[in-house]
Amino acid sequence: MKNPFINVINKGWPPVVAVILILASWELLVTWLEIEKWFLPSPSDIIIEGLSSWPRLWLHTTSTLHKMLLGFPIGVLAGVLIAVVMHLFRPIKFAFSPLLIISQNIPIIVLAPLFIVWFGYGMFPKIIVVVLVCFFPIVVSMTTGLVDTDRGLYNYMRMIGASRRQIFLKLELPFSLPYLFSGIKISATYSVMGAVIAEWLGASSGLGHYMVISSKSFRNDRVFTVVFVIVILSLIMYALIVLVQKLVIRWNSRSVKEGS
Amino acid sequence: MRPKLELRNIGKSFGNQGQGADKFVIKELSLYVGEGEFVSIIGPSGSGKSTVFHMIGGLLRPDHGEILLDGRDITGKRGHISYVPQQHSLLPWRTVLENTVLAIEVSGGMSKKQSREKAREWLARVGLKGYESAYPDVLSGGMQQRVAFLRALLSPQEVMCLDEPFGALDALTRMDMQRWLLGLWEQTRRSVLFVTHSIEEALFLSDRIYVFSEKPTGVLEEIIVPFQRPRGEDILQHREFIRLRAHIYSLMKKEVTL
Repeated sequence: MKNPFINVINKGWPPVVAVILILASWELLVTWLEIEKWFLPSPSDIIIEGLSSWPRLWLHTTSTLHKMLLGFPIGVLAGVLIAVVMHLFRPIKFAFSPLLIISQNIPIIVLAPLFIVWFGYGMFPKIIVVVLVCFFPIVVSMTTGLVDTDRGLYNYMRMIGASRRQIFLKLELPFSLPYLFSGIKISATYSVMGAVIAEWLGASSGLGHYMVISSKSFRNDRVFTVVFVIVILSLIMYALIVLVQKLVIRWNSRSVKEGS
Repeated sequence: MRPKLELRNIGKSFGNQGQGADKFVIKELSLYVGEGEFVSIIGPSGSGKSTVFHMIGGLLRPDHGEILLDGRDITGKRGHISYVPQQHSLLPWRTVLENTVLAIEVSGGMSKKQSREKAREWLARVGLKGYESAYPDVLSGGMQQRVAFLRALLSPQEVMCLDEPFGALDALTRMDMQRWLLGLWEQTRRSVLFVTHSIEEALFLSDRIYVFSEKPTGVLEEIIVPFQRPRGEDILQHREFIRLRAHIYSLMKKEVTL
């Protein structure tokens, strides 16, 4: 088996080159066209601003991280629980699937101010928002995995007399793990956005809050530093999940279809 | 010979029930497998062989008739047979060793340590030593089927049902696996019900063969295979082998052209 880290380095360079190209052309365009900094800052302006306001930026980043790191695991856990309960108890699935979809149709920008009215400006309403955006991709992906469980393997387990519980624990649950991980990857990136949007709509700290203040005072360079931080946070989250997935799923999950 | 597994007058229809006898997919099917006997079912594809297996396994209930194991009624009950499916059905997230003990684990009654020890011993015996902690997808088709067979052999149920276990293998591997199975079976002497398409495979391995009819499924003819055990490949050239092969072939041909 290949070392995953060497693999990442080998396959990782085309996107890195693409990003560098885009940043370089951005930098050059801003310089050549003499665009004002308050209108559109260049990448170097953004980085310089980020460094000079680092202590403040870091404070807001940790505040956002705090919300994410509480909300995201709760969201994942809630998603897995809901998917499992719905899978094991069909009437519950029947009753609640429409509600689940509705929960995703209510815009967060409507909910977040309501949560502030109900729960105040603190952490709690933000964490609810993060949980709300995180759990749904988990429910969908996990449910798909549980339902898609290979028929051949399922029939085999029934033929050898496996109980409902054994089929769930020994077959359906491990079968749905790769599906779960695709959901977790989506949720991980959503968790950053969820936290920022919740802060945007009313908070006393955090990247979203900092973004609003900067935007209102026409400090677009600061707005962009926050954007950079958000992108980096999302990438780190994604990379961490991929790493965990590599550690958990050691088998070849594509081999299932051939074995059925 | 005392019947180990017995099917008595099994009938099964699908779809609209009670619309006349011609709707029966399986009609008045009776067969048995004696203690320590190797019995094959052979018939054209679509002759309801897998339906028969699903009834023996308890996944389907026959409309009438009964299935007996050691004289006890097991109709519609699961967990009384061990099973080797056509596709190996090894769980891809379990290593070879973990797959080998799966059926024991599901049936219970043996400690984890004990079952693993037994599995290790058997894996070594069938030439899979060193593959214990490999995942099934790195094994060849023949090796995968060996693991699937061991998994069934180690489980505590005494009757083994093999549903075309070599059907997905290439011709050479298939012959290899037939010899392998023959050797292993002659050492262990389990009661086996074996479904196959291949006349030669059935004759080579079995004590008795049921030739199935098609639509509705039933026993067309029961053939007793006269060769002594242990068997070698020399029987493939035997006059009686060739005669029986031609006989079964003509039976099946009639069925298909009907």
